[in-house]
Amino acid sequence: MTHERVAVVGIGQTKHKKRRDDLSIAGLVREAAQRALDDARMTWSDIDAVVIGKAPDIFEGVMKPELYLSDALGGAGKPVFRVHTAGSVGGSTAIVASHLISSRVHRRVLAVAWEKQSEGNAQFGLGGGKSGSIGAGGAFAPWIRAYIRKSGAPEHIGWQVAVKDRQNALRNEYAHLQLKDISIDKVRESPMMWDPLHFLESCPSSDGAGAIVLTDEAGGDAAAADGRAPAWVLGTSMRSEPSSFNGRDPIRPQAGVDCAWDVYRQAGITDPRRQIDVAELYVPFSWYEPMWLEGHDIAPVGEGWKMVDRGETAFDGDFPVNPSGGVLSSNPIGASGMLRFLEAALQVRGTAGEHQVDGAKVALAQAYGAAAQYFAMWAVGTDKP
Amino acid sequence: MTVSTQTVSTIQFPYKRTLGPVMGRFFSELTARRIVGIRSGERVIVPPMEYDPETGNELARDFVEVGPAGTVRSWTWVAEPIASHPLDRPFAFVLIRLDGADTDLVHVLDAGAEDAVHTGMRVAPRWRDEPVGRIDDIVCFVPGERAETPEGEPGEAQEVTTMEYFSTITYTDVLSPTLVRYASNLRAGKLTGQRCPQCNRVFLGRGYCSVDAIRLGPELDEDLPDRGVVSNYTIVTPTPYPGQKETEPFARASVVLEGDEMVIAQQQILDLPVSEIRVGMRVRAEWMPEAERDAAEITSKGWGTVAGFIRGWRPTGEPDEPAEQYMNRVF
Ligand SMILES: [Zn+2]
Repeated sequence: MTHERVAVVGIGQTKHKKRRDDLSIAGLVREAAQRALDDARMTWSDIDAVVIGKAPDIFEGVMKPELYLSDALGGAGKPVFRVHTAGSVGGSTAIVASHLISSRVHRRVLAVAWEKQSEGNAQFGLGGGKSGSIGAGGAFAPWIRAYIRKSGAPEHIGWQVAVKDRQNALRNEYAHLQLKDISIDKVRESPMMWDPLHFLESCPSSDGAGAIVLTDEAGGDAAAADGRAPAWVLGTSMRSEPSSFNGRDPIRPQAGVDCAWDVYRQAGITDPRRQIDVAELYVPFSWYEPMWLEGHDIAPVGEGWKMVDRGETAFDGDFPVNPSGGVLSSNPIGASGMLRFLEAALQVRGTAGEHQVDGAKVALAQAYGAAAQYFAMWAVGTDKP
Repeated sequence: MTVSTQTVSTIQFPYKRTLGPVMGRFFSELTARRIVGIRSGERVIVPPMEYDPETGNELARDFVEVGPAGTVRSWTWVAEPIASHPLDRPFAFVLIRLDGADTDLVHVLDAGAEDAVHTGMRVAPRWRDEPVGRIDDIVCFVPGERAETPEGEPGEAQEVTTMEYFSTITYTDVLSPTLVRYASNLRAGKLTGQRCPQCNRVFLGRGYCSVDAIRLGPELDEDLPDRGVVSNYTIVTPTPYPGQKETEPFARASVVLEGDEMVIAQQQILDLPVSEIRVGMRVRAEWMPEAERDAAEITSKGWGTVAGFIRGWRPTGEPDEPAEQYMNRVF
């Protein structure tokens, strides 16, 4: 291996909420970052570089927030980077940070992704500031309709994912939604927001941030020697494709297929269904769980919904998806990808607490963005690659 | 017929900031006509910060009252204020080192004339009559040692936790020659696109092929039919937000033009209840009357929009096309 091995040695996140009215934006990112530093047994001065990710600036109306946040994240005198790849940005942020280490440019990097949705309005932002925004749900609903029609999946699949992720969230103290009485009936009877998507099949709007501290191999070894198992990065990839052209398969975008196989190849995975123990997939609308199972070749095309139906993606299934509760339970948009990536690291470190999947040694995390055209994925493992 | 080569858009939003415990304290103190900083080691930082800007370390909440008078450390004269400036007459933006502070506060100085401003001059705040907990509770600074304070006591500090920030941005979009031609054709009631010589795909108003990344020039222009098939749709339950005018569920459909060419997204289907829209339904364009056609919605950020030229699409009543063939075509 010619590049440096990368370890995740610190993980932190905020309590995600509809409105964190107790914190400024700087306070929000610092809550996550400080927890990641504490977890890594580091202070601000130990960090060589900072990578910041968030979704469009129009969501909070702070233009170029990375300028204002540089000193809030201890960035004075250090390289600070801003990453922006729409909804996938939290994942891309982690990946950019990992590349700063694998390329041996830096040894200890802090990556932070965030969104404070309560300061603005995402529907407004996604609609370009105009009336009649279709929002993310309206944009994805037609593809979900197409998936349902083509796969022949029964409609309860979407309700089942919606219930499963909310039940998982009850194990995760940081998750925004804590719907103790969630049920299939409740999902089915919730208002139809973007036909065929019900309200409870959709993600909430959240304030929140997630942060990780990454180090080189020596840093990972030192953490391990100290009894704090790191998560080793096994593979990373980002891919994109144009949003609209004749012949595009938006249900199973080629960029998502390529991104997954690039990660699998680096991680030595030839049979993702068997070799991956747990996955955190970006599922803002319930149907995206079976769609990504197929879109990343975890299930054969047309069969993703059957994995859901058989309970295989449930917390106690043999391929748990989104033990954290997923985007369906917490959606600080810019941070949502980071939350997938850090949950995967928590799982293989064995530090996921109540939502720990037994024996998780290899975890996959994925985030996607815009018109399902940006992908960011990584695989992390307990064992050094 | 020609259209303008640029479009102007304005977007506005009332953002609501949460201030947090440190900036919140600063704005709360302003309501009692006090200015506070925070102690960071030997220094006093004004306005206060939650952390040491040099190290990132959390600061203890040790607030210190400063000013209200101070010394101008630097300045720039604004001879012709614009609407968004804090004063409607010529003024100076100033960096003020308030007495007791170790950092400079950015504010404005009402000094009458440029030659009345100099670095090192002493200034003091002019307070607003009814403080609200915003930076403009200090209307401006004025020359001299004495604050200009309205009659009466300010009373207890009010707790300020949020700040409304009304954002308004007006931007000008310069249209590419391709878009100008596209919009001119729409004005004439014609839908046109360019066919890529490499992959045979048609694109509306782009001037390049998104797949092959090659330029598509005017010689590749082609008239397209204004008839098509509903390939997919969404029914949106509108959520309220500032500027939202929709209140009832509305449908937006994607229309694949006849001949399986380009998709036109987010279209209205006319004269049909939203619940009756079907994938595969055949439709034809309903053009706006010529006098009402308007290119204001044509921007370089929205490829292939027909807004302002085609009101919507009306079912033709012909038999549906097979849905499976079309469903993937959304954008
Ligand atoms: Zn082409």
